[in-house]
Amino acid sequence: MRGAVDQMAAMGPARSADRAAAQIELKGASKTFHVRGQAIRALDPVDLSVAAEEFVALVGPSGCGKSTVLNMTAGLLTPSEGQVLYGGSPVHDLNRQVGYMTQKDTLLPWRRTSDNIRVALELACRATPKAEADERVARMTELVGLKGFEHHYPNELSGGMRKRTLLARTLIYEPETLLMDEPFGALDAQLKLVMLEQLQALVQQRRMTVLFVTHDLGEAIALADKVVVFSARPGRIRAIRKIDLPRPRDVYTIRFTPEFSRYHEELWDVLKDEVSKGTDI
Amino acid sequence: MSEVLASSQKPADALAAGAPLPAKHLLEGRATLARVVIVGAILAAWQFVPVSRGIKFWLSGPWEIVTTLVGWVVDGSLWSHLAATLGVMIVGYGIGCSVGIGLGLLLGFLPRLHRVLLPFITAFYALPKIALAPLFIILLGIGMGSKVALVAITVFFLLLNATIDGIKDVDRDLVQSLRLMGANSTELLSKVLLPSAKPWIFTGARIAVRYAFTATLLAELIAANQGIGFLIEFYSGNFDSTGTYAAVLVLVIFSVSLTEILSRIERRAASRNA
Repeated sequence: MRGAVDQMAAMGPARSADRAAAQIELKGASKTFHVRGQAIRALDPVDLSVAAEEFVALVGPSGCGKSTVLNMTAGLLTPSEGQVLYGGSPVHDLNRQVGYMTQKDTLLPWRRTSDNIRVALELACRATPKAEADERVARMTELVGLKGFEHHYPNELSGGMRKRTLLARTLIYEPETLLMDEPFGALDAQLKLVMLEQLQALVQQRRMTVLFVTHDLGEAIALADKVVVFSARPGRIRAIRKIDLPRPRDVYTIRFTPEFSRYHEELWDVLKDEVSKGTDI
Repeated sequence: MSEVLASSQKPADALAAGAPLPAKHLLEGRATLARVVIVGAILAAWQFVPVSRGIKFWLSGPWEIVTTLVGWVVDGSLWSHLAATLGVMIVGYGIGCSVGIGLGLLLGFLPRLHRVLLPFITAFYALPKIALAPLFIILLGIGMGSKVALVAITVFFLLLNATIDGIKDVDRDLVQSLRLMGANSTELLSKVLLPSAKPWIFTGARIAVRYAFTATLLAELIAANQGIGFLIEFYSGNFDSTGTYAAVLVLVIFSVSLTEILSRIERRAASRNA
């Protein structure tokens, strides 16, 4: 069964087309960490390509190297073997074409919500006139549902609100590629759906490429063009599945369609073995 | 026996009857009154308890001291000494702070250079700076220069270390996330490093005021031709106990005002940060 899924993905007709315009490409990229003299293999050599304007979701058990893939794409980590290409050339140093929403809260504690969201627009590399910046900050604040909390400091916000501030800060400067590491983990189910819809709309409108890490298989299927299932550590790709659901997708009701259920069943079949193998979920 | 019982029962009765506890300002007022009484008693004893003339020479008396102090105020000789002390303190503090913060930022930015210089910094930091005073006097004379140098070097090391510690304490992930957004070095400094290190630098600067005060005074005691420290040294050198006490009194007033101003600034800063 698992083999069948792998095969289906490999034989998919769109695959070769993707490769031609690959925005992100991992070629046999692996990562081994050395912690106190002990080598820990986080990621076995992985081949993965993400086309421009493609939305790819990575799912898998904890500690399977999904975040490592994002860190290597952002240039925060260098692969131990193999290569990571961005826009056709190897990533070295920081990759400033990407906006990276990490799991860790990296809001500036001395700035209020709206000033945290604004920070990217203040930088010389994308100097924005104040009036325009104000307007964009206001729009983004409303989009992530933080209206009324503009003047709060991060320590006065709930965990979910901080996540949304972080999301707004990443989205506001409309980077070419979004790297997102479990961006909606801390949100309640309803708000999560609202955010999924907003993210989908924005990504389509701005034609962004997205690499999205999540624990939630349903979220992955609802959003992605392609779902990649990782094995337990050391991470390997167990399956790549194209999701052929028409866009725009209605994130509220798509879960109840038969197509969705089919994808879910199929991918869950692969994932569940890995989840039970993962010791630290 | 019965009397003791009666008196010990009295407050309990009062409480049982629901007598209100004294208000806070009333308690504070009583404490002030008690302080005045204590000081008054000591001063009175100092002034009026008869002692031999020989002892009087060393002890002086409150009245004589206050008269001397008023005399200095009236003839204006006090102000030039106060100004000298304040001047040395402010100039030395200013130089020490700015150079300390500047160099601290530089070393915070260049950790490799910091590692090379660390043993020297530690050695100088550990050294009681007052030991350098004679050296500064040889180099810069007994005027303002040597005293400013001593204050500046004391303050410098405090601010240098506070700034370096502050930069070290900056969350690397914040720096990285801003670099990913495309921030250059100047922007990293102004948007992450400085705001993050600010509380450390402020704390260092606050502590340094007290050190600057002590350093100024010690420098004046060692060698000077004006200043409050010089007054103390001068009168005690002339076996004039009244003058010495008067100068110490000036010092007490000076340091109490300084402490009061500082704690007001600190309270304001704390309420702004909260």
